[in-house]
Amino acid sequence: MTTDRLMALDLLVSVLTAAAWVSAGVAAAARRTRTTAALFAVALVASLARVWSVLALAGSGWWFVQEKVTVALPLLFAAAAVATALAGPRVLRAARRPGPPSGAVPHGVRTPAVVVPLLGAGYAAAAGLVQTFLVGYPADPGTALLLLAVVAGAVLVTWRASGASVPGLRTATAATAVAAVLGVTLTFVPATEGTAAAAEGAASAGAGAAGAAGSETPSAHGDHPASADHSVSGPSSEGHSVSGASASVAGGPVRPVTALRGPAVPPPGGAVRRFTLTARTATVTLSSGRKVAAWTFDGRVPGPPITAVQGDLVEVRLRNADIASGVTLHWHGYDVPSGEDGVPGLTQEAVPPGGEFVYRFVAAQAGTYWYHTHEVSDLGVRMGLYGTLVVTPEGAAATGVDLTLPVHTFAGTTVTGDHDQPLVRQVAPGTPVRLRLINTDNTPHRFTLAGTPYRLVAVDGTDLTGPGTLGRAGLRLAAGGRYDLAFTMPAGPVVLRTDDRSDAVRLTPGPSGTGEGAAGTRTGDGGTGDGGTGDGTGGGSTTTAPTGDWPELDLTRYGTPAPTPYTLRSRFDRDFTLVLDRGFALAGGKPAYAHTVNGLAFPDIPTEVVREGDLVRLTVVNRGRDTHPWHLHGHRVLVLSRDGRSPTGSPLWLDTFDVRPGEVWEVAFRATNPGLWMNHCHNLSHADLGMMLHLAYEGVTTPFHGAHGG
Amino acid sequence: MRKVYAALAGLLLAAAVVQMYLAAVGAFDKPQDDSSFALHTMNGMMVIPVLSLVATAAAAAARAPGRQIGLTVLPLGLVIVQSLIVAIGGLFDDSTGNTTPLSLAILGLHAVNGMAVIGACELVFRRARRLAWPKPEPRSQDAAEGSAVPAS
Repeated sequence: MTTDRLMALDLLVSVLTAAAWVSAGVAAAARRTRTTAALFAVALVASLARVWSVLALAGSGWWFVQEKVTVALPLLFAAAAVATALAGPRVLRAARRPGPPSGAVPHGVRTPAVVVPLLGAGYAAAAGLVQTFLVGYPADPGTALLLLAVVAGAVLVTWRASGASVPGLRTATAATAVAAVLGVTLTFVPATEGTAAAAEGAASAGAGAAGAAGSETPSAHGDHPASADHSVSGPSSEGHSVSGASASVAGGPVRPVTALRGPAVPPPGGAVRRFTLTARTATVTLSSGRKVAAWTFDGRVPGPPITAVQGDLVEVRLRNADIASGVTLHWHGYDVPSGEDGVPGLTQEAVPPGGEFVYRFVAAQAGTYWYHTHEVSDLGVRMGLYGTLVVTPEGAAATGVDLTLPVHTFAGTTVTGDHDQPLVRQVAPGTPVRLRLINTDNTPHRFTLAGTPYRLVAVDGTDLTGPGTLGRAGLRLAAGGRYDLAFTMPAGPVVLRTDDRSDAVRLTPGPSGTGEGAAGTRTGDGGTGDGGTGDGTGGGSTTTAPTGDWPELDLTRYGTPAPTPYTLRSRFDRDFTLVLDRGFALAGGKPAYAHTVNGLAFPDIPTEVVREGDLVRLTVVNRGRDTHPWHLHGHRVLVLSRDGRSPTGSPLWLDTFDVRPGEVWEVAFRATNPGLWMNHCHNLSHADLGMMLHLAYEGVTTPFHGAHGG
Repeated sequence: MRKVYAALAGLLLAAAVVQMYLAAVGAFDKPQDDSSFALHTMNGMMVIPVLSLVATAAAAAARAPGRQIGLTVLPLGLVIVQSLIVAIGGLFDDSTGNTTPLSLAILGLHAVNGMAVIGACELVFRRARRLAWPKPEPRSQDAAEGSAVPAS
């Protein structure tokens, strides 16, 4: 059984356990002897089943059961044992006695000795559920003590309410109160300190305390004198304006991130590609004529496509006309120098209305990429501040049809480019076709291509090795990810469908070279035109048939293996584990039901510190119930394994990988791009709720406030 | 103490009503995502459970009858069910995380159970008030229907 199924099963069993114990207690209070006995039996069986479900889940990794094994199960077991010892014999005796219980036994099962232990076990079982939902990973002594105090308090209240006199009530109440206070103290005090420091760092832009509190100090710096905290905190994360003076990392030069910029002239043989993008609010008209208020680059959604040939220098002048919250450009998946990465507060200040910023980088990687704002990125990207970046290989003459298709959910409808209706193109049979799919949304999309065999030739901009022919396959594309599909135009129509629901692109056979305008005209008469095509050709039925049952392509088994610079057996200089979950945490200093990494939310998550040249392994574990598309800036990562299994197909170099509930991904990268980088969930609403952190190279500082990352 | 309990029960009912309001705020927020329901989530997972627990403790301290104490913790139990409805409904989403008819059928119960939370809070408040001010006015029918607030 897969891990997410086991997680669901464990959840259901724990609900059943809590419900059975509580109802047994309620039935006892209502003098339903036989019902009590039956529910008691169910509760015992459910409790044992819970042990089994936790053990089964433990096979997927300690991260999935840590809080269950250390807190929930011991608590449940202690309570169940007490209930069995105290209530068990009484319930059995009452159940065996025929006739109305009020006759022979004055109270029957409605005695505190039965009701209180049964309800107590119910509270203990419910506490485990509450812990999983509210606290998540990892369980710590503070929250465990707090839960214990709540359960003990509930038992005391129940006992008192059942009408019996509780021996040592005052002492027990006092002990419970002390445990609660201690639990609260342990849980909240360290976090509060961290927040205070972060707030202070943000406000004064002078203190390095935030970084020191939140950074993992590498052992090499353990012996520093009093200023050690400062020297490490500067490069590690939050940085400060006086960093140049105070941040002196032993054994390495100190560079501000603003010094890590692209070159002013292109490499030999390269051209300079100049673009100017002006961010402004505008009303855009979709292909159907529908008008939508948007945040745009140059009044268009998506923004102007940026194209280059490998080896060119790309120079983009970003201007902000009237986006009040500010704007930046982040080159998603492109390993630009850190100072060009466009993360406000870390690599630059957000460009305010009236301001501008010039980005320069060498187009070293060929492939399909995209750009988007990183300032209030969740709202900004959804409102339209994004565009495509396509770099073609040097010397490869463009042949055939090459369509770049950013898929976005805009004002509630799925659009491809600016088409909210299918994009229709005539393509001459025999023409090579390349479709570049880009998911600019927060959630994954599923694509199907009907009417022709095809190959998935590149993922996240990088070519796959030996990609085989695909037919009836569902392609699940992570938020932020890209797929390039290639095929030769057949004699019949070809349809690209999104989420098995809406046709995104319809290619019909015919004379090639039909322009965008003509496609728009064709779109106008929409369904009828395509219906005619469908009737006229034999392939028509294959492109209109439902695709929902097409199996999903497993990327880790697609293509042929090839040598990689490192593998699971390599020796890694740094090893970081990120356990993703939900729970209460301070996100941006505010208490929230946050998306957490190792139980914390930004900016409290320790910065990952690496040294240039390090081989770094990231293990990303999702023990929550949401999908998290994980995205590291500035580096492509090589997939080492998913759920413990190495890819058997083509090596996968990704910049965004979808970690689904219950999945464990191991990925690796060589730290060759010095700077300060975001490492975050590309469901940007999750990032807003805390799921982001920094990855910092030793010796790199930032002059910016550092309190914001996305 | 009983007046404190009644006041807490009143706060609990108010929090439950605010919760409905915040649900509508989230439902009408555009563009809609996780953060649309951030306030709804906070109120539902922190404020209402804590108020329910504190009110239950106050009920016990006020020596309210056992049934009344049990009733006071009922909103907490129903709120746990609310979270479970969301979690279990989510299990039946499709592979891209979009809802399916089955998951929607389960998720819709969130509103029905929400009404049960309101009902439970209302009942707790009404009985807490009766405990705090035990001599009902002659026209106590009105109070029982919740249409008039009796003078203390």
